[in-house]
Amino acid sequence: MIAWHIARRELRGGLNGFYVFLACLALGVAAIAAVGSVRVSIQEGLAREGAVILGGDASIAFTYRFAEADERAWMEAQSEAVSEIVDFRSMAVVERDGAVERGLTQVKGVDAAYPLVGDVQLVPQIPLSTALAGKNGLPGIVAQRVLIDRLALQIGDVLKLGTQEFVLMASLEREPDSAGGGFGLGPRSLVLTKDLANSSLLEPGTLFDSAYRMALPNGADLDMIRAEAEAQFAESGLRWRDSRNGAPGLSEFVDRIGAFLVLVGLAGLAVGGVGVSAAVRSYLDAKTGVIATLKTLGAEGRTIFTAYLIQIGILSAIGIALGLILGALLPILFAPIIEARLPIPAAFGLHTAPLIEAALYGALTALVFTLWPLARTEQVRAAALFRDASGPVRAIPRLPYIAAILIAFGVLLGLAVWFSGVWQLTLGAAGGILTSLGLLSLSAWLVRRIARRLSRAKAVRGHTALRLALGAVGGPGGEATSVVLSLGLGLAVLASVGQIDSNLRSAIERDLPDVAPSYFFVDIQNAQLPAFLERVKGDPQVSRVDSAPMLRGIITRINGKPAREVAGEHWVLQGDRGVTYSQRPTENTTITAGEWWPEDYVGPPQISFAAEEAMEMGLDLGDELTINILGRDITGEITSFREVDFSTAEIGFILTMNPSALAGAPHTHIATVYAEEDAEAEILRDVAADAPNITAIRVRDAIDRVTEALAGLAAATSYGAAATLITGFVVLIGAAAAGERSRVFEAAVLKTVGAARGRILASFAMRSAILGAAAGGVAIIAGGLAGYSVMVFVMDTTYTFEPFSAIAIVIGGALATLLAGLAFAWRPLAARPGQILRGQE
Amino acid sequence: MTAPVLSLSDVQLSLMGNAGRVDILHDISLKVTRGETVGMVGPSGSGKSSLLMLMGGLERATGGSIQALGHDLTAMDEDALARFRRGHMGVVFQSFHLIPTMTALENVATPLELAGASDAFDRAEAELESVGLGGRIHHYPSQMSGGEQQRVALARAAAPRPDILLADEPTGNLDGSNGQAIMDMLFGLRDRHGSTLVLVTHAPDLAERCDRVITLKDGRVASDNRVVAEAAQ
Repeated sequence: MIAWHIARRELRGGLNGFYVFLACLALGVAAIAAVGSVRVSIQEGLAREGAVILGGDASIAFTYRFAEADERAWMEAQSEAVSEIVDFRSMAVVERDGAVERGLTQVKGVDAAYPLVGDVQLVPQIPLSTALAGKNGLPGIVAQRVLIDRLALQIGDVLKLGTQEFVLMASLEREPDSAGGGFGLGPRSLVLTKDLANSSLLEPGTLFDSAYRMALPNGADLDMIRAEAEAQFAESGLRWRDSRNGAPGLSEFVDRIGAFLVLVGLAGLAVGGVGVSAAVRSYLDAKTGVIATLKTLGAEGRTIFTAYLIQIGILSAIGIALGLILGALLPILFAPIIEARLPIPAAFGLHTAPLIEAALYGALTALVFTLWPLARTEQVRAAALFRDASGPVRAIPRLPYIAAILIAFGVLLGLAVWFSGVWQLTLGAAGGILTSLGLLSLSAWLVRRIARRLSRAKAVRGHTALRLALGAVGGPGGEATSVVLSLGLGLAVLASVGQIDSNLRSAIERDLPDVAPSYFFVDIQNAQLPAFLERVKGDPQVSRVDSAPMLRGIITRINGKPAREVAGEHWVLQGDRGVTYSQRPTENTTITAGEWWPEDYVGPPQISFAAEEAMEMGLDLGDELTINILGRDITGEITSFREVDFSTAEIGFILTMNPSALAGAPHTHIATVYAEEDAEAEILRDVAADAPNITAIRVRDAIDRVTEALAGLAAATSYGAAATLITGFVVLIGAAAAGERSRVFEAAVLKTVGAARGRILASFAMRSAILGAAAGGVAIIAGGLAGYSVMVFVMDTTYTFEPFSAIAIVIGGALATLLAGLAFAWRPLAARPGQILRGQE
Repeated sequence: MTAPVLSLSDVQLSLMGNAGRVDILHDISLKVTRGETVGMVGPSGSGKSSLLMLMGGLERATGGSIQALGHDLTAMDEDALARFRRGHMGVVFQSFHLIPTMTALENVATPLELAGASDAFDRAEAELESVGLGGRIHHYPSQMSGGEQQRVALARAAAPRPDILLADEPTGNLDGSNGQAIMDMLFGLRDRHGSTLVLVTHAPDLAERCDRVITLKDGRVASDNRVVAEAAQ
């Protein structure tokens, strides 16, 4: 009770001196609350718009084929309406003034019922049915603006898909079910499936997906219908989806990136924690006299600790509340901008769950970072009133306080693991933050020792500004530790993002094109293959051509059991995979175990499986795999494992079978062509002239698409890192503001003993630069370690230190500290020494 | 007659406080000659410390002129004043005002370095030895007692061999024996280097050790007596 009274009286002084404390906590909490709110908004949007995103209440998809009559009949029996779509890649070709332009496009063939749910938006604003009806006897096509621009098309122009001409009727502005699909390499175009009949694009063996969207009666039991579908067509290779999770890929992606950004936010909160701790420490230092007086009057250590704990608790609550308000409002304010970049309408609004999560993180962080300085109030002795208050205070609090700090930290970590749902990532990030804080503390200590040593070195004698700077960094008190910790941690997050991003980019940008082919050609029909190979192999500018038969199949069973029961959610089991056949291993194949089948083998199907993926899935030689290809189950035995390197962009198949196993199945071929750049256009033209159904995918374009997606990820992460850095900068400002008093005094004394302002300013600037550079240096080491860990252990590739982002970070660190320092240098330089020094008499 | 090292003519000082303008000094005129020791006494708030700050160029007069060693301090900017103090003036404060982030040696060497002395640290060490702190040169102010800190401050003020030593109640924060020791050192330094000493003090016995005692009252010179000369007569 008495502690409460003391706390209340002490708080009458208002929030003065606590602005940095409040800003640090509020920023950290706001970042986490905002990220969480955006994540929940998107998830709710996905859930609410599930049917629109999916294109119906439920969807059944097939690879390579349309539904059989009995399957179609079953779907129609369940539904009020069924809409069939077909999805494949092709080349859009335009002939203009004798020249031919080609562009890769992801074609969606639809029927009259499309879309069952939601609306297609076109410009000009005409109904989809009108657009697809076409004009002048030609069927219509609508395409995304990117494709129209790439091919320099005007509305009304004619373009070809395969051998079929279409008239461009409108640009496709919004496709309601776009988020439900996967990653497309080309912009979308939309036509009626029936108009593709003469395009020669949907020949047997061609790579395409079909999907049947069903509008179910109200109150239909999705689980029951799904179970029935799977029971009825168990071995048909159907893929079920329903409106409860219309875009599982997107949903999972949002979850992952959300969890990751919250972890980045936690790093920001840790930076804020450093500022909070420094603010509490300096507040309590200023209260030493009050505490000593209270002790003189008979207050026990526990009473004093409780009184200040209450004060800090109230201030933390204010900081957290500010952060929650900011974090809840920001997503709502920026909703139009965020929504414009999303393929789905998100449900922006007030979501309590992410706010509670952020508040818990904020409260626990405040506790972890303030208990230590608070515990030291116990150690202030009444004698401090009569002796120098800066006298020695035991640096380490008593055991119960340390235990409390550890428990609070454990709870914080546990919550982070629980909320994020990805424990490895969370523990990795927590380890990274702790390692960084440890490294930074060590570095701050080292910097101080080295500075102290250097300030006494003969070499710096005569360089007064430098010696003063070194003395200030290395001397007692000072802001070295909090500056290095706060800025260093912010920069470490940024450096990690920089190292990982630039390594990923260089892996894609630089390494791959050295060995990658120029083009992938897909959908080469059996009959077209000899002519195709003759054309490309006969070209002197083509250095290498590889081709392989290509089918797609889903691994449904392993040794007779459902595959997912045996190998879990391994990526090989998610959706369909490429399957090929071959009499003998290719030149580059390395068999790691088992033996390849004899060249004329005609017995039961045999499989050669990718070694690394087999190990991950727990497969052994002799295991039996059931693969559904074109609705037919083929069961074969794994007789060999071989190395498959996907990083070279060569043709690589997880599954290779003996030729007789797949002989009956209709299929096409895939080919990679390594050609000189100036030969590419001519090869494309010749291939397209002979076989317009063949799709050419330029590897460079594919890489650009991946790089683009990666750039978006890097941008999102950079925003998270920027929030951390802003918090770091606030802490820096706080440290500079807290240090202003001592700098004012120091400047006054220096002026008294004859220092001009330029020299004093130089000394202030140098100490800022030294601390900033130290923080930047550690950030680079931490960033390098994080980059190495992610590239080597997660991405399974090599790591190269990227000096440019590293140098930028050191310079940025030094500049940030310099700016913060200089912002608070004006008063010390302007003040008259007489007034300052007399004021302290 | 020797030329005055300090010459104040109609000096005024007014400061703006929260309650409005406060007139601190009114038309002070006086001269201090080379080698003189001057004690300034007077009740609290009489303006003696302010007058000392004006003499050192640490405060800016709002009227009149102040000449030090023939230079007009009122015409100089902050940097020019700082440069002028190098080698010409040493100041000792009641609260010592050592820089807490510097060791004793560094505190003392700083004005010498600023004055461009190549042997700044050797001279600083010698100065600290002369005030009896040879064994504590690498200690920080927080590791020293008040008396020790004031000895460092004394060494810092005297190290550049200034023409003028200004001391603002140098024993005000010290006990009797420490205060006595500091005063002995202050006068000893002044004797050794031949500096002019201007001393603000509340202690009558200290003032009596000076050649001349100026008494201030309400911002005006109430009396100006040559103690030693009069006593000798």
